[in-house]
Amino acid sequence: MELKIRKNGDVYIIDVNGEMDLYNSYKLKELVMKMLEKNVKIFIINLEQVDYIDSSGIGALIYICSTIKKMNLKLSIANIHGSVKKVIELTKLMGYFPISNSVEEALLMVKE
Amino acid sequence: MEQEEIKELRSDDNDPLFDKTNMLCKTFPSDFRQIRYFTLLIVQSAPNEIKELNLLEQQISEVIKNAVKHGNHCDINKKVVVWYSFSPTHAHLIVQDEGEGFKDLEKWNEFNRKRLECLHKQNFEELTNYVSFRTKQSDDQDGGNALFAALEYWNGGFVYNGKRNAVAMLKKFQQKRRGVNIDGE
Repeated sequence: MELKIRKNGDVYIIDVNGEMDLYNSYKLKELVMKMLEKNVKIFIINLEQVDYIDSSGIGALIYICSTIKKMNLKLSIANIHGSVKKVIELTKLMGYFPISNSVEEALLMVKE
Repeated sequence: MEQEEIKELRSDDNDPLFDKTNMLCKTFPSDFRQIRYFTLLIVQSAPNEIKELNLLEQQISEVIKNAVKHGNHCDINKKVVVWYSFSPTHAHLIVQDEGEGFKDLEKWNEFNRKRLECLHKQNFEELTNYVSFRTKQSDDQDGGNALFAALEYWNGGFVYNGKRNAVAMLKKFQQKRRGVNIDGE
């Protein structure tokens, strides 16, 4: 799994590339925690290049989402598709996560 | 008000899903690093039409992970045994470890009931407390959500044995209409 950060104004977009599984999901969690330490306030996690997620990956997203919610900061998760969408649907968490269909839509969502 | 069916984890030695007749079998050491590799060795014998976007692989990997990690505590000397049978219309597995058994099954059901209640009421604030099931043994890598998905995915049943160190599961698939794809159709 590869993580790349890009910036759009004060929004930080994390592009995740690869599989979010039991061996590497912690990396995304650690990255977001480091960014929070550096006072980043608005996040987009782009899952366009993620075709596989397991319970550890979902767990990482839950952790990130609840931490950011508690701190009253902003997050949107963009481009959930394929089996990633199916796994989230199985856990019934589609309504829990702040989801957007594209990075553009996510930008509008977090800038509201 | 419409009442949703509440799916629960069960334990029953006599469940027909524990019938191993005509099932293939593989045994693995409890090596955490190889969980996805072991899963692939099982899934490779499944027909393509039921592999649907890696979902079958993902769900099997979760059950093997539970056996390796929570059942056998990654003790390399302890084995995980997987019985399996696949066809275009079904996936049937039994996964057994050498552990003490899933002691928190009742706690899990109670937790899940509360989770479903929050979802039913669309109470996402309260739901925050019920998105991840934790026990004293849970660590940071545990998502605590694998069994929520398992109960939904394994639509033909997901049941533990009496000792709760083995779990049998069945997924039924709709037979896809067979036909020849013609370009441009």
